[in-house]
Amino acid sequence: MLPLLRSTKALKPQRCLAVSPKRFSHSISDHCDIVIVGGGPAGLALATALGSCRNIQASLRVVLVEASDLSKVKQWSLPEGYSNRVSSITNASRGFLQDIGAWPMVEVSRTGPVEEIQVWDGVSDARITFSASEMLPAQSTVELSRLTENLNLQRALLHRLSSLGAVELVDRVKVQSIIQENTEGSTWPLVHLSDGRVIRTRLLVGADGPNSPVRTYAGIKSYGWAYDTHAIVGTLYHAPRGPYSSPNTTAYQRFLPTGPIAFLPLSETASSLVWSTKPPLAAALKAVDPSVLAAMINAAFRLPEVSMRYLHSRIVEAQERGSPITLDELREEIAFRERSHAIDSHSAYSSLVVQQDTSGIPPEGADGLPPLVTSIQPGTIASFPLRFSHAESYIGEGAGARTVLVGDAAHTTHPLAGQGLNMGLADVRALADCISQAVSRGLDLGSYTALLPYSRNRYLENHKMLAAVDKLHKLYSTTAEPVVWARSVGLEVINELDTIKTALMMSAGSRTQTNAGQLSWGLAAKGVESVARSIGSARSFGEGIAGMASAGLQQLARQITNPRQ
Amino acid sequence: MRNLSSARSLLRAVWTRRALHSTAYRHTALDNSHVASSSSTVNPDEIAHFSRLSSLWWDERGEFGMLHKMNPVRTQFVQEKLVEMKYEDGHESFDEQRVLEGLNVLDVGCGGGLLSESLTRLGANTLGIDASLSNIAIASLHASSDPALSFSSNSLPHSNDTAISHKGKGKVTYEHTSVEELLARNGPNSFDVVCSMEVLEHVDNPRGFLHSCAALVKPGGHLFLSTIARTPLAYLLTIFTAEKLLRFVEPGTHTYSKYINPSELISFFHHYRAPSPSNTSTKSSTESTSQPWISRLVAGRPLRVEAETRGMIYVPWNGEWVLGPHNEPLTEACNYLFWVRKPLQ
Ligand SMILES: Cc1cc2nc3c(=O)[nH]c(=O)nc-3n(C[C@H](O)[C@H](O)[C@H](O)COP(=O)(O)OP(=O)(O)OC[C@H]3O[C@@H](n4cnc5c(N)ncnc54)[C@H](O)[C@@H]3O)c2cc1C
Repeated sequence: MLPLLRSTKALKPQRCLAVSPKRFSHSISDHCDIVIVGGGPAGLALATALGSCRNIQASLRVVLVEASDLSKVKQWSLPEGYSNRVSSITNASRGFLQDIGAWPMVEVSRTGPVEEIQVWDGVSDARITFSASEMLPAQSTVELSRLTENLNLQRALLHRLSSLGAVELVDRVKVQSIIQENTEGSTWPLVHLSDGRVIRTRLLVGADGPNSPVRTYAGIKSYGWAYDTHAIVGTLYHAPRGPYSSPNTTAYQRFLPTGPIAFLPLSETASSLVWSTKPPLAAALKAVDPSVLAAMINAAFRLPEVSMRYLHSRIVEAQERGSPITLDELREEIAFRERSHAIDSHSAYSSLVVQQDTSGIPPEGADGLPPLVTSIQPGTIASFPLRFSHAESYIGEGAGARTVLVGDAAHTTHPLAGQGLNMGLADVRALADCISQAVSRGLDLGSYTALLPYSRNRYLENHKMLAAVDKLHKLYSTTAEPVVWARSVGLEVINELDTIKTALMMSAGSRTQTNAGQLSWGLAAKGVESVARSIGSARSFGEGIAGMASAGLQQLARQITNPRQ
Repeated sequence: MRNLSSARSLLRAVWTRRALHSTAYRHTALDNSHVASSSSTVNPDEIAHFSRLSSLWWDERGEFGMLHKMNPVRTQFVQEKLVEMKYEDGHESFDEQRVLEGLNVLDVGCGGGLLSESLTRLGANTLGIDASLSNIAIASLHASSDPALSFSSNSLPHSNDTAISHKGKGKVTYEHTSVEELLARNGPNSFDVVCSMEVLEHVDNPRGFLHSCAALVKPGGHLFLSTIARTPLAYLLTIFTAEKLLRFVEPGTHTYSKYINPSELISFFHHYRAPSPSNTSTKSSTESTSQPWISRLVAGRPLRVEAETRGMIYVPWNGEWVLGPHNEPLTEACNYLFWVRKPLQ
């Protein structure tokens, strides 16, 4: 933890008033208008948005401080393999990145368009499919989102920033402490850097990630809890889809009671994994041979839930005994399980014959499943603990005045809806607009009055999204019979309703048109009625849960479809 | 940080003057020679006292919260009107964002300096005056912490050795004086823009006050006012609800009988003839006074190029003030803004 003091003895109000001005200047090396702490995607996007805004460029001095080496990101060599940190950039986010001139600098050949999303319940097998081509008007985009390596995005932002030249980047320098000036009523933060400099700033932006030092300085509490879940990520390789299949542009997500496993397409032969699961299982999966993990991934999309539960326990047990399961042992288990479920070895649901010949007509149901993983890119397997958290406020006050939070510093979420970074980008857009507006009215942009529109714009939006994702996570992590039954009803009913599908689709922020929000909400509202009618005869307990399921999804839809333009 | 030190010397001046003329300060301008000689006698408690007051005044969620929220709308009105008139004057391509740049602006009744600071950030050279000594101290202290304002107290000559990096161009100065004294000292026609926001409803002699403000405006310059209309609605909102019921503002802040209706301001400037001030020497002073600021009324309303009133409406669910639509007298039944332009000849 950083020593974050909010006032200091060293800078207490001057007793002697006949001081020479120099007494101040030796400790403060720099004055600026905005200091952004954090050069992650949110911080860099904010710097770019501010730097490309004419009235800000002309009147403000902006500095970004990042602890790591940004030149490495900027000179990232576009290696053959893929980075394991990949985010799904929605159309709304992409539109914003386009507006600030960053998207054209993204290496687009390394990004993967998502044209369809298939989501299914691991227990009941109820499934929803959303596809852009089926749903969106012909003239609009066929993509729902684009999978982009975080590094690719950060690199593009850095290139855009250097062409703008409006923001000063200070990297390989940590913010060591932040102290409120506290002399003669001033509330300006003094930012102490690890290189010895002290910057006095009008506004301090925390884009400094989940453990945000700026949030700590501001004294803003963060509300939340750890999901007893870790996400395993990695880059997966597989054979290309054959001539009779659709290309690798479908994202698949199966909700297992231990957490969702997602397969996100990057190219014809590579995809990204995000497997959220219980920490002991995540630890075991990370420890096994990558070929074992690959076999587990294939099974996890295919085997019935009871068998997955069994395999999970086998793996964890073997891990605890100190003799990790071998590939042969695992294949034997899977073969036995497939036989007992009467899964034919040529069926799409069999994961044993990995070196399939993909040139022929694929087996029935193959389009409902991701391609079989053949290998995992070495060094890409990693895991992250998942947390729900939301700061109690985005704007600091009193002893923490002149501070504002964006991105993961303000909120963290479960990756099941792929919204974490997208929410951060929406924050950044709103904050940049808010600052530009404040400048055009001559406001002090560190003031509460100037920042309030940002918070008003984003706080509730983010909260609804966080709550909807949280509800979905909880809903799908149970195997209790009535809930599962209701879940299947909820999902299948939704699948029948084009109206809701459309709403959900535009959800993932997939439309960039400005009126998408209103349009889709109208549709979704109609959908709610239909759901209510069609489950009218359901058992009352189940009905409540089904209502929750659809309400959860709809709420999610509403969030994402209603981007603040 | 010469800004802070100049704020301090202003406070020194303020403090010494108060010690010397404890009650008689209200209507006397600061005199610089006195300041210079007294700068060593300074009471740290006094600085601490003003720092506290300043923090209270500038607490955006505190007692003056409504004023803080209102400020962006007042600035918007000033900017929009100046832009509109610049087009009206035949300028075709100019940067609307920079319409205030380089203008000499007087903010009468500047309080803690809210509007003065905003106009200065937008590039104006602003003089904020207030009859309250502690307001001037508050405003000075606050401005001194902001390098973008090039704050200089009137008691020190403004030097340009500020090694502070900021890209703003305006500068702000505060002075403890009244508009009448300023007029007597500086003479008429000295400012491009004169603003007096939320002041008129507090003055004892509004006609005299308006005369002085108007005289200080340069020909072709602008006068901006904001105040409260004398309507039952205004009573309900500003006195009954804000003071008595919710205590948003200190009870006794407002006096209903001092409220002034838009039509009264319009009528004032319809009949107003600037009296020839004694020191407008040379040219035909009679001529310069002949033209009324508002030449004619259409259905009781002035032409939009001569004067305009706009309502300011508080939207409670957004917690923000918005500018009422043009030409919608109903929205002017409570807080409203007024603009009038001084004729060129
Ligand atoms: C497994 C997983 C999958 C995800 N998938 C998706 C997805 O599909 N779609 C999506 O939208 N989001 C996704 N997310 C979320 C997304 O990765 C984050 O929301 C995003 O990275 C947050 O960016 P940020 O810039 O706010 O914070 P960060 O990326 O955490 O950046 C913070 C920066 O601040 C710097 N910093 C911190 N302290 C200091 C200091 N004292 N001094 C100087 N610098 C400092 C750090 O070095 C760091 O660079 C996923 C997250 C996880 C864990």
